[in-house]
Amino acid sequence: MASNKRKLWALTLSLLLIAGLLAACGGGSGSGSGNSKGSSGGGQSSGSGEKPVELIFAMPNTGTPMNDLELVQEEINKIALQKINATVKFTLIDWAAWNQQINLVLAGNEQLDLLVTSAYMNYSSMVAKNQLIPLDDLLQQYGQGIMEAMDPVFYEGTRINGKIYGVSSFRELVADYGFNARKDLLDKHQIDLSQVKSFEDLEPIFQLIKEKEPGMIPLVQRNTSNTVVNDMIASRVDNLGDGMGVLMLDDNNTTVVNLYETPQYREAVELARKWYNAGYIASDAATSQEGYVALMKAGKGFGYFSNMKPGFEAQETGLIGYEIEGVRLTPAVGGSSGPVAFMISIPSNSKHPEKAMQFMNLLYTDADIMNLLTLGIEGKHYVKTDNGQVRVPDGVESSGYVFNQWLIGNNSLTYVWEGWDPNQWENLKAFNRNAVYSPALGFLFDADKVKTEVAAVSNVISEYKAGLESGAVDPNVLPKFIEDLKKAGIDTIIAEKQRQLDEFLAANQ
Amino acid sequence: MRTNAVQQTLFHAIMAALSAACLFPFILLFVVSFSDEQSIILNGYSLIPDSFSLEAYRYLWGQLTPLARAYGITVLITAVGTITGLLISSLLAYSLSRDEMPLRRVLSFLVVFTLLFNGGLVPTYLVYTEVFHLKNTLLALIVPGLLTNAFFILIIRTFFKMSIPGAVIESAYIDGASEWTIFSRIILPLSLPILATIGMMLTIAYWNDWFNGLIYITNPKLYSIQNLLNRMLSNIQFLMQNDLGGRSSESLAQMPMNAVRMAMAVIGILPILCIYPFFQKYLVKGLVIGAVKG
Amino acid sequence: MNQSRWRKFRKRVVRHRMLILMALPGLAYLVINNYLPMLGVTIAFKEIDYSRKGLFNLLFGHEWIGFKNFEYLFRTDDAYTITRNTILYNGLFIVLNTVVAIAVAIVLNEIRSRFMSRLYQSLILLPYLISMVIVGYLALSMLNVENGFMNKTILPLLGIDPVSWYSEPAYWPYILTFVNLWKNVGYLCIIYLAAIVGINHEYYEAAVIDGASKWQQITRITVPLIAPTITIMMLLAVGRIFYSDFGLFYQVPLNSGALKPTTDVIDTYVYRGLMTLGDIGMSSAAGLYQSAVGFVLILLSNWLVRRRSRDQALF
Repeated sequence: MASNKRKLWALTLSLLLIAGLLAACGGGSGSGSGNSKGSSGGGQSSGSGEKPVELIFAMPNTGTPMNDLELVQEEINKIALQKINATVKFTLIDWAAWNQQINLVLAGNEQLDLLVTSAYMNYSSMVAKNQLIPLDDLLQQYGQGIMEAMDPVFYEGTRINGKIYGVSSFRELVADYGFNARKDLLDKHQIDLSQVKSFEDLEPIFQLIKEKEPGMIPLVQRNTSNTVVNDMIASRVDNLGDGMGVLMLDDNNTTVVNLYETPQYREAVELARKWYNAGYIASDAATSQEGYVALMKAGKGFGYFSNMKPGFEAQETGLIGYEIEGVRLTPAVGGSSGPVAFMISIPSNSKHPEKAMQFMNLLYTDADIMNLLTLGIEGKHYVKTDNGQVRVPDGVESSGYVFNQWLIGNNSLTYVWEGWDPNQWENLKAFNRNAVYSPALGFLFDADKVKTEVAAVSNVISEYKAGLESGAVDPNVLPKFIEDLKKAGIDTIIAEKQRQLDEFLAANQ
Repeated sequence: MRTNAVQQTLFHAIMAALSAACLFPFILLFVVSFSDEQSIILNGYSLIPDSFSLEAYRYLWGQLTPLARAYGITVLITAVGTITGLLISSLLAYSLSRDEMPLRRVLSFLVVFTLLFNGGLVPTYLVYTEVFHLKNTLLALIVPGLLTNAFFILIIRTFFKMSIPGAVIESAYIDGASEWTIFSRIILPLSLPILATIGMMLTIAYWNDWFNGLIYITNPKLYSIQNLLNRMLSNIQFLMQNDLGGRSSESLAQMPMNAVRMAMAVIGILPILCIYPFFQKYLVKGLVIGAVKG
Repeated sequence: MNQSRWRKFRKRVVRHRMLILMALPGLAYLVINNYLPMLGVTIAFKEIDYSRKGLFNLLFGHEWIGFKNFEYLFRTDDAYTITRNTILYNGLFIVLNTVVAIAVAIVLNEIRSRFMSRLYQSLILLPYLISMVIVGYLALSMLNVENGFMNKTILPLLGIDPVSWYSEPAYWPYILTFVNLWKNVGYLCIIYLAAIVGINHEYYEAAVIDGASKWQQITRITVPLIAPTITIMMLLAVGRIFYSDFGLFYQVPLNSGALKPTTDVIDTYVYRGLMTLGDIGMSSAAGLYQSAVGFVLILLSNWLVRRRSRDQALF
């Protein structure tokens, strides 16, 4: 019947549609940049006759507002187009999704020319899996600006197996650790932080606060990975990337040991336990979902440990809302993971590595681009003050563009925010230069041969770490912890690490 | 009537208790979204907070554009996905329910098999991005993983076989009706309960999905509501657990506070709750299968 | 002989071409969504080198390393713990959730007031719609050592000392089971309710005339008639017995290490182990392991079901 036929046609039509879809895309493996929406920069010719290249740059979305990123990107591209006949398109990927999305993109043929890399984001496994290309030659050819502007450690310190795979961003590579507290409470109880010379010296202060300020937490743990114990011993340890096998800097040797077996670790854990039992540390420190900033801001905390740097107190005061005073309890020390904390690399997907390197070069030499990238558009996101620093424009409540300045490029080229020391960048450079560095600086561990053990050991560490290091769990589980680590294969990892470290040191006399 | 007052009271009591247990956390969620952030940090979540505050919703209002867009996207993909998915599933289920279907057993096995083995994330991703170029498109939110699955197909097939008497189909067949007519004139109307059920499940699945958005979408204009919420929550968690050399606190300080997270959860859930009664209309008692009696 | 069988087959196909056409969209989808990627299951046995890109390479290139990617799953004592936990929890969940969901569906069906019935249904569905991350926060508000509802309000009422919930593994099987039930019962109930609604009223009327009690009606009519649905649901659940709700086991315990002995399952173990490595070969191996076990179990259960009643089997 007629209506039946009609229905038959409808069905067949929809099936044809599906079949057509299948067919049309059937041959399409590796057909270039099929993913990015639209390509900008098409019509603008810089007169060189060559079509400008569009580079895709993946950045982690740090959660700060970046609504105006496209505007900033346009401005940057005006300059980039002129100077290197290329434009860049920034792609923001959330931290939490980073590993997964980047791995997926790199497994396929999608276009990606530049990306932020980090030891926190599996930098050495990325190299081992051939996801990044070596930059040595590119640097020589197109990256002269980088080499001139930056201390060699910023690009040499990222070598794996002798090749450079990333260029580090300008920031402090070292850290000194100390204690920070609310100035108003310090004044109220006449506590003089300058008298404090070691972590143990803080005990009487904690006791005082516990008695005089009920309900307030004397020592706030920063979060479940920057634990009390971690902050106390971090400057004495080079964790060689993953903390599975470390160098104890006090011993001044290059023997890789199991951190969790060392006397320093035991002492720190016992001290934390003592403080936990005395009530100086919050009872839910091991599982708390609040970071220290939120707790301090709410007026619930007195002080906390942290890694510091020049201008740290000003930064913290801004974050927390109460004035913060700090005392540094350790010298500035640089572990081998300093340079590799945040870098830019070029992935093996890129079809335009030369242009990518040229753009990277701009990020280290061109003040205009850097100011745009880190501060935003002048007039809209910042205005200049009389003394050459910058501040938020009047009447702007929430900026449409806030960027983390330690993430990319050469920040020493940019203006300094009001409230910071005008010589901020010089201070940072001096800070970096005058610190003591681990003998393993520049060493990066390739975990590929021991990945089974790494997976097992990761699980063991995650079981004990938060509890032990916040003092919430009694140190009498330490022996069991160590035993479990051994069963998971930590000694195999340490042996392999030692072998690679010895090779590295021998090659870099 | 079949039941008496005592039994009714008992049933009501059971359901009331269960409903309360399910409602209570949601009320807590709702109340916390109206609480002052400081009091949350000082006292934890409480049903009667020390101070009320509309701060969370004010923050969200400031994000109106991305939120409204996310809502629009979610509604669109849910509607399209549910209808298409229902159609495809029921068509396949119908053909598998008819004994005359050639290769019925083989195809049924093939359908079930998909539930057991999974190629994994990377191959699936590559199929959709390389072969079909779905990345950063709306289709990426509709097609992968959600459109239909063996679970739905089997449930519908079972319903077709068990609840629709073969006699009805037989008589229609003898009268010369085509499969399509049987399907649309007889099967579908009689299957409203199961269609409403699967339709509801599809709607929930699409509404709640954040995973597809997570791996196929990097263009913020295409985020769905749950995608937004989950990104925010996962980012917060990530920064809590990974220090990034001491820098996570800066980022964390910028991120929405407790009240805002709860408020986002509230606005993510409410629309679905409003849609549910619509589906319930079809889950009515006593759908009489009149044709059998004749 | 073969000729005529083939010819008969072709005749059947032509005669029922409508049916085949109807099946095509769904089948096409399953091919694209499930079978094509299934070819990639071979990743579990390979060492992936990212300098070779693309789908084709993924499926057919890269170095074979046998079972090396599976080692980390079996290496330590943890292997026993996670397997045991996974199976025990899932077994318990399947049984408990099914029984409760059916019971609730029956009760809902009996309630006379349509309005109340629908209201209850909406309310018990609420938990399903809340994401596990939020559920984790809500649980924290209950179980927080200092401020939690339990420690601050309920336990003092009962005269018990506060408990450090997140450090005591023993309580968590109960907590997680309860949360899982709370979250899923409303959703599962929808399916069973739809099945119950489809039961012909005449059966009940006849039973009442014969003097059957409520309980007899439930056990002799309702349950047997929704048995196919129950069977399918349980069969499918059995096939997924090695998979866990990641959100439940990772978010709700707040990733607390002390609780590992009773809350670690295969999925969380894999996640934690691979966070620093990002090795897709290893995660694919885990997935394959879970699928393989589920497959064997489903074959077994399906065979058992077929012996009792052919119609109800999956295949």
